[in-house]
Amino acid sequence: MRLVGGFLLLMAVALLLRSTALSALAARGVVIDVLVFVTVIWALRHGETAGVTFGFFIGLAADLDAAHWLGRHALVMAALGYVVGRLSHTLVRESFRTQVVLLALATLVHQLWATAFELHSAASWPYLLQRIVLAIVATAPLGAFLISLIGRVSGRGFLGHAAHESNPSN
Amino acid sequence: MGGFLPSAERRSTALLAIFTVVSLLLLVVGDRLPQGWLRGIGAHLFGPLDRIVLLGDRVGSAWRESRLLHERIARLEMENAVLRGAGVENDSLRRALELPRQGPFDLVTVEVLSLSGTPVPVAATLSAGRNRSIEPGDAVVTSRGLLGRVGESWAAASRVTLLTDPVSVVACEVESTGVLGLLRATTAPHPRLILANVPLADTVRVGQRVLTSGMSRRFPRHLTVGRIARVGREQSGLTQEIEVEPAARLSTLRHAFVLRGTGAAELVP
Repeated sequence: MRLVGGFLLLMAVALLLRSTALSALAARGVVIDVLVFVTVIWALRHGETAGVTFGFFIGLAADLDAAHWLGRHALVMAALGYVVGRLSHTLVRESFRTQVVLLALATLVHQLWATAFELHSAASWPYLLQRIVLAIVATAPLGAFLISLIGRVSGRGFLGHAAHESNPSN
Repeated sequence: MGGFLPSAERRSTALLAIFTVVSLLLLVVGDRLPQGWLRGIGAHLFGPLDRIVLLGDRVGSAWRESRLLHERIARLEMENAVLRGAGVENDSLRRALELPRQGPFDLVTVEVLSLSGTPVPVAATLSAGRNRSIEPGDAVVTSRGLLGRVGESWAAASRVTLLTDPVSVVACEVESTGVLGLLRATTAPHPRLILANVPLADTVRVGQRVLTSGMSRRFPRHLTVGRIARVGREQSGLTQEIEVEPAARLSTLRHAFVLRGTGAAELVP
């Protein structure tokens, strides 16, 4: 029940931020990929089953909001939730560097996929590439910083350590 | 088959497969499904929350805006007195020439609750809908200029399709020269507004204002749309490629005005 509550709350917060504060930033050219950020956090914390479900539903909500290409975000966010969830068993999730790399790669994949629907001619590539790079640069360090901040505030292993979960006898 | 993987992994793999199939199906047929009612529920649920999130921003900007608005009101009142005289003169001249008159607009002030679409917003959710007689098709403006057109209207909220949406097309004219063109959004090579179908022979200059034209059957005439930012030649070489900077600032949208009744019937030019 607590898991479902957290699921809905995180989704609502992410969608709210995306359509208010972050959309104003995006209009100025700085895209902070909040969909990727929350999906990566959820998948790192709860594993692949929760990750793929969260990714799909938050992606679907984003698709409905955008009104065009229903399923576009849902597909890629579900895949990202699954992959990050699987990796969470083997990676040291508390590592800042791991989080930066994961967020950067996930943002790259999401932005590349979303951009594929906007490609019209080779002339638009420089702008789209610039947008992708900016999104990675803005999302990865900020996201990892926020994760470590939440970890410090919560006081104990917010994400847990992979070694503990992969071997329950420890 | 399933015995090779632990049950948790089997479950997650099955879920991934289901979600992938559903997403692909939605990509193929999603645009044909009715989604308006779902967005309506979303707007209803998120409307109050959007207001809370935006509260801090609104309070801060209200103080600054209030000072500027007082100054502007004083200036506009002086201008209004002059324009009222010109309006009377214009009315009598239009009557003499048997031209139809353009009535005053019925403005409804609304709050912009949220924006959709990245990086450039393509739609906005407004704080009023059918409860204030806002109907699909009504034009939406800000104090700076045209924003778009109401696409969907629900009980207490509505959704505007902004000029930046690639499906939006507006018949426009360049102020003072009367050069006609169609304004549309394009994402290549980067998101921008283009005034298309303007012959090479027509003279347009950077900085000139672009207004809705009398050819538009969707928008009232002479609403400010933007300014010409760049003039070039279209790829085919037959027409000009005119880039327009929108008058309404999408990054600082807080309030808008719905021109009630403009969508009820096609406008008489």
